[in-house]
Amino acid sequence: MIEVIGTKAIAGVGNAGRFGRFVWQTIVASARSCVTTRTYPLIWTQMNLIGVRSVPIIMITGAFVGMILAVQAYDQLASMGLEERLGVLINISVVKELGPVLAAVMLAGRVGGALTAELGTMNVTEQIDAVRSMGTDPIRYLVAPRVVACLLLTPALIIYADLLGILGGYFVGVIQFGINSWAYRSYSAAGVELWDVVVGVIKGFFFGAAIAVISCYKGFTCKEGAQGVGQACTDAFVASFISILAMDYALAVIFKAIYNTFWPIRSLV
Amino acid sequence: MMAYRRERKVKKGGKRSGTSVSDRDGIIALKDLTKKFGNNVVLDNISLTIEKGKTTVVIGPSGCGKTVLIKHLIVLLRPSSGEVYFKKRRIDNLDEHELNKVRTRYGFLFQAGALFDSLSVAENITFPIRQHYKIKDWSEVEELVKTKLAMVGLDGFQNFYPANLSGGQRKRVALARAIALNPEVVLYDEPTTGLDPIRADVINELILKLQRELGVTSVAVTHDMTSAYKIADRIIMLHHGKIIADGNAEHIRNHPHPVVQQFINGQVNEDDLAVLRASGTIFQAQFLPRDFEE
Ligand SMILES: Nc1ncnc2c1ncn2[C@@H]1O[C@H](COP(=O)(O)OP(=O)(O)OP(=O)(O)O)[C@@H](O)[C@H]1O
Ligand SMILES: [Mg+2]
Repeated sequence: MIEVIGTKAIAGVGNAGRFGRFVWQTIVASARSCVTTRTYPLIWTQMNLIGVRSVPIIMITGAFVGMILAVQAYDQLASMGLEERLGVLINISVVKELGPVLAAVMLAGRVGGALTAELGTMNVTEQIDAVRSMGTDPIRYLVAPRVVACLLLTPALIIYADLLGILGGYFVGVIQFGINSWAYRSYSAAGVELWDVVVGVIKGFFFGAAIAVISCYKGFTCKEGAQGVGQACTDAFVASFISILAMDYALAVIFKAIYNTFWPIRSLV
Repeated sequence: MMAYRRERKVKKGGKRSGTSVSDRDGIIALKDLTKKFGNNVVLDNISLTIEKGKTTVVIGPSGCGKTVLIKHLIVLLRPSSGEVYFKKRRIDNLDEHELNKVRTRYGFLFQAGALFDSLSVAENITFPIRQHYKIKDWSEVEELVKTKLAMVGLDGFQNFYPANLSGGQRKRVALARAIALNPEVVLYDEPTTGLDPIRADVINELILKLQRELGVTSVAVTHDMTSAYKIADRIIMLHHGKIIADGNAEHIRNHPHPVVQQFINGQVNEDDLAVLRASGTIFQAQFLPRDFEE
């Protein structure tokens, strides 16, 4: 029993160490690839695959989030006669939390899964060894462009999700429930600050980096065979998902502390 | 002239001036090398010196650790214990960054090709060039790709993707990629497996030509004795993690060890046939129609 815990603990520490090294090498390689123009085409390709192709699904996610929030919150607010403030509630939730987190989860599935499957397959078919055998660092060639692309594009995609969430909430609120359009907009504008939007977008950098690094790491350490690749994809998604939530919590605490030191508490409605 | 063309000239010059001292010490050396995967000892305390400008062929039954051995020569695998030297410099303890500089001197043909399936044939072959040189004149690179592909009989396949090639074609593209940087040492993992006899002979000629004209040092793993006899200056046989025979083709042909004789003549050991000889085993091993009847 103790032996089992012991070996598990040793394996755990070993894995953490390997992951730490991988993260460090990725940071160094990514920083380098930002200043060498030769890697720009690689980053560009990845941006196209990761970012551009994710736009529709991210927009759909955002729109539905806004619409669902409107449907769920309307009755409660209406019973207190506060329905004109529906927009504040929706927009704050979307911009600060739901937009970033759901967009990131969507990307963890769409992009993270593809990254792990691609790199995992390259790993089991010795293509990563082939990169090494030709004197190229696979982290520089394969991981850095993907991480940089994800890091830059996740915030941009979050803005899309926010935008569509806001529009979705607006349409349901104003058209379906007949809230006065001008009131909806002016309360929203008064309730949502630039800070809220910025917080959400900054989260995007962290989420994007986490998704890319975790997915690439899982691909690189993938076990042999089709089953190994499948397992790596599952692990990558679960790990990305958990770390998105954990980072979201940590960032919420940090940003709240920052906010409170500059501005006093305000009431949302 | 372009940088990667020039480099070959430098190497050629280097070979001429590199006198017998380094030749005798060998270009690559393994010292007391042991490799274990868990409890499975694959290579057991092997010492080996690869001579510069010679072709060394490694033979041995499937699963005996030939691929593992050849990967240690370029430190794609790190030894469990023991040392690897390249030009008298210890390389098995270098970090990946340092190793990458050493690896540009090598070409490595993977047993399964390991072509990048997201890149076309031409992009695969230019990969090492693009990684290590700034290309100013693409037409010259195109010319180079054409030459390398022609060497393996695949000119015209530049824009194909690996998925659209046959196994043997992939192997040949991988070979063209391995020699793209005009390496000093080429490691071939089964260069002729999966090729028809005529094509296999063309590859043998290619290996010989690289050795004769460019002074390339080759290490080839193979099961194909025809190829081994043709290209080898020296043949090494691996068995149960040890070198059991080491010498030129003549030496191997007349080697007294029964395992060597069985291997080179393709004779089966009676023990291995025991299962097949035992009456009724084939019958037992069949799924019979009645297994699926209701
Ligand atoms: N990554 C690995 N992890 C665990 N065991 C391995 C690994 N690679 C090789 N082995 C083991 O090492 C042994 C030798 O493998 P190797 O691939 O070198 O054989 P080989 O001589 O090249 O065979 P073949 O001629 O069939 O290619 C096998 O028993 C295999 O189980
Ligand atoms: Mg092998």
